[in-house]
Amino acid sequence: MLPTELLIHRQNGEEIIPKRLKLDQQHLCLANNLIGFFKEAVGKSQGVLERQLADFEGDTTDYRMKRGLAYILKSSFCTFEVVSPLEPPMLRERVFAFAAKSVPSREATEVTLSKVADELSQQLQQEVLPIQVRDGLYADLSENKILTAFEAPKPDDLLHRYNLSQVQGVFYKASQLVLNAHRNVPGEYKLLFRYLKLFRLMAYIEGDADHGFTISIDGPTSLFTPSTRYGLSIAKMIPALLHVTKWSLAATLQTRDLYTNEWKPGRFTLNSECSLVSHYPKGKPYDSMLEQSFADKWDSLKSGWILEREVDLIPIPGSVMIPDFRLVHPDGRTFLLEIVGYWRTEYLQRKFSQVRRANSDSLILAISERLNLERAGVKLNDFPARIVWFKEKLLPKAVLAVME
Amino acid sequence: MGRNPTLTFDRGTLILHPPPHSKAWIDYATWDDRVEKFRIPAIRYRCLVEALQAEDTNFTDEAKGFYPLDLVASLEMTPYPHQNEALAAWKLAGRQGVVVLPTAAGKTYLAQMAMQATPRTTLIVVPTLDLMHQWYAHLTAAFPDADLGLLGGGSRDQTPILVATYDSAAIHAETLGNKYALIIFDECHHLPTDFNRVIAEYAIAPYRLGLSATPERTDGKHADLNILIGREVYRQGAEDLAGKALAEHQIVQIKVKLSQLERERYNQLIQTRNDFLRQSRISLGSLQGWQTFVQMSARSQVGRRAMLAHRQAKEIALGTDGKLRILMDLLAEHYPARVLIFTADNATVYRISQDLLIPAITHQTPVKERHEILTKFKEGEYNTLVASHVLNEGVDVPAASIAIILSGTGSAREYIQRLGRVLRKGNIENKQAILYEVVAEDTSEEGTSARRRGERSNEPQRCEEREEKKEKKKDRKGN
Repeated sequence: MLPTELLIHRQNGEEIIPKRLKLDQQHLCLANNLIGFFKEAVGKSQGVLERQLADFEGDTTDYRMKRGLAYILKSSFCTFEVVSPLEPPMLRERVFAFAAKSVPSREATEVTLSKVADELSQQLQQEVLPIQVRDGLYADLSENKILTAFEAPKPDDLLHRYNLSQVQGVFYKASQLVLNAHRNVPGEYKLLFRYLKLFRLMAYIEGDADHGFTISIDGPTSLFTPSTRYGLSIAKMIPALLHVTKWSLAATLQTRDLYTNEWKPGRFTLNSECSLVSHYPKGKPYDSMLEQSFADKWDSLKSGWILEREVDLIPIPGSVMIPDFRLVHPDGRTFLLEIVGYWRTEYLQRKFSQVRRANSDSLILAISERLNLERAGVKLNDFPARIVWFKEKLLPKAVLAVME
Repeated sequence: MGRNPTLTFDRGTLILHPPPHSKAWIDYATWDDRVEKFRIPAIRYRCLVEALQAEDTNFTDEAKGFYPLDLVASLEMTPYPHQNEALAAWKLAGRQGVVVLPTAAGKTYLAQMAMQATPRTTLIVVPTLDLMHQWYAHLTAAFPDADLGLLGGGSRDQTPILVATYDSAAIHAETLGNKYALIIFDECHHLPTDFNRVIAEYAIAPYRLGLSATPERTDGKHADLNILIGREVYRQGAEDLAGKALAEHQIVQIKVKLSQLERERYNQLIQTRNDFLRQSRISLGSLQGWQTFVQMSARSQVGRRAMLAHRQAKEIALGTDGKLRILMDLLAEHYPARVLIFTADNATVYRISQDLLIPAITHQTPVKERHEILTKFKEGEYNTLVASHVLNEGVDVPAASIAIILSGTGSAREYIQRLGRVLRKGNIENKQAILYEVVAEDTSEEGTSARRRGERSNEPQRCEEREEKKEKKKDRKGN
């Protein structure tokens, strides 16, 4: 992500169009040049790298774009470290105390540096040179930190990352985001909601699998007044959303009018056709082998029921339940199936309390017999969902039996 | 039998669940569909709890993360009458409100009195790293046994007494919100901005003290302080402290010639800049002229080149080697007197520090290290100190008798503050202070110096400096 001053967008009426670099020869070449500077700078200080980048910027007017690309390289692909014979604050204390005993001059500096170097050599049992003391003195300033590692991205990856960062930047000013999602597989939703939780956002879910879901995303205090406080978290969530297949979103933006200094609401929209590329790891299509083998066997049953991965989201206060499968009959009947395999006690308790709170009569729970429910403190009296027990593998027939 | 209503803290808000049977609390609550519970803004904590208690409603308070402290003060002074009056007025207002006192009227000690009168976990919010240092130094002396920490300026402590910058406190508002019973807002006119106000809004702190010499804001938002902290409970007008607290002083200006090489380069750069200005018909003599220059420089390559030339020329004038030679001269002459060196930019500070092994303070210096450096300077272990703008406000260095300004901006205010710092009388009788100003001859810097001493007022130039500061800030963030 980029700091506000490196964001570039143009305004077309009410519409905001973030800067987007084409993946053409010119930009790929530019990206390649920048990556080259970073490769060469490994082992050198950040200051040296900055000067190289400033030279490259020269007097060109597109310096903000270049700085943006360099910023991404610096913040996501580089490791900068402090290299000094002693922790720099301790080194400074020692050097300055020593130097204060004489009149400051260049000659006195030489004397002090070599005295301290000798002292340190003895103390650390290794040779320390005066120049190392001098360089180590402010080794903790960012410009003096040493670039110790650089994981070079490919030029097109850098451009994708830049384009995504520019779009993310629009959301810094977002007070709310409304997401419409339709017919996506549970793994994609699960990943999305995991990130929502990670970035401490809140969601309100409406809708069903056939017509799609509307998910409103903001934060705790949004209830009282719209706030851009959660904009940064919303921006961080966007790469996770890119792993969901079918969606569109509209964000409400709060911007200051430059002339009147009043707040004015704006809007920004985006959808799954935006061809931005995520750098977040993809979720797995199936949570377990159990689910996969069940799906593989279902079709051979030829039951008339269609097994879908595009499931219903079941809103629960403060959370959401995402079942593993949805079973649809041509006559309109539908069921949701959740497979509970082998898990820790707390997970199990939470899962069962979720199911109770969801209070959905179309939910089927397939539970492994290996689970000791008694010991986990779970009682199944008055349980709202239908239950299928299974041993090693969940057989499609057993599920069919509770449906018909 | 239903469960007992429980109050919990959730990221700057309160959740009360299950809902109590009484009624008064509902005025503060909003139904939240997302969690199917009632939610209340954290800032309403005190009203809410009082309303619940007034109706004898049983509830469990799991929101409260603050607790009483044993605060034994080792620093006790006889308070001034205005400090006693201010404290009494604040207590009478339910320990919520703003106290307006002029600079140097002992706000820090008043805060210490408020803490002793309200011995609970306390958050102190300050606008600058300098003030952070000052508060830290004072509170360490006042409560040596207390667990005192810093948030901001490189520190991330989690202590029952915490000094934080507005910036850091706002960033961490969601997690700080329920941990402190008392919040002291120093220079509280910084609070009512869109970014900072969450420090007050997301906090449940029942006790709040705002301190300021000038709470009024041009945007009128100071009215919000009534809600965020409390109403104004005490005000004392400015007293004329000048003449009493300042020592005798003498100002010496030293002009330095640029070297042959520097001079050539300087003239060449100014030429580049002026050519562009002439072509574009811009005159830097007006505020508009400077703004046009900034705009044009972002649009064309020639313009950008002219802007870079302008900056480089300035750098030459500020950082000429001649100045360093004069500096070494002055240091030798006054050794071992306590000397403060000021420069306008960090690069020069670090260059001097590294070349002459003189301790340095800039905005990058961690607050605890800054505290140690200043302590050692006061105690005489260090006799020289080099600093950039950061020492401008609120830090007294009474030990220093010599100040050297190597370069600076044209703001008269900064000049006087720098002067005042050196010239604070402290405990030394008949202190004769000297202020040296080292200026590069025949450069734009001479004008800056004249403005600094109030000989000539030239608004557009000041705008230029402000604009440049902004630009540099941007550059820094970008890096």
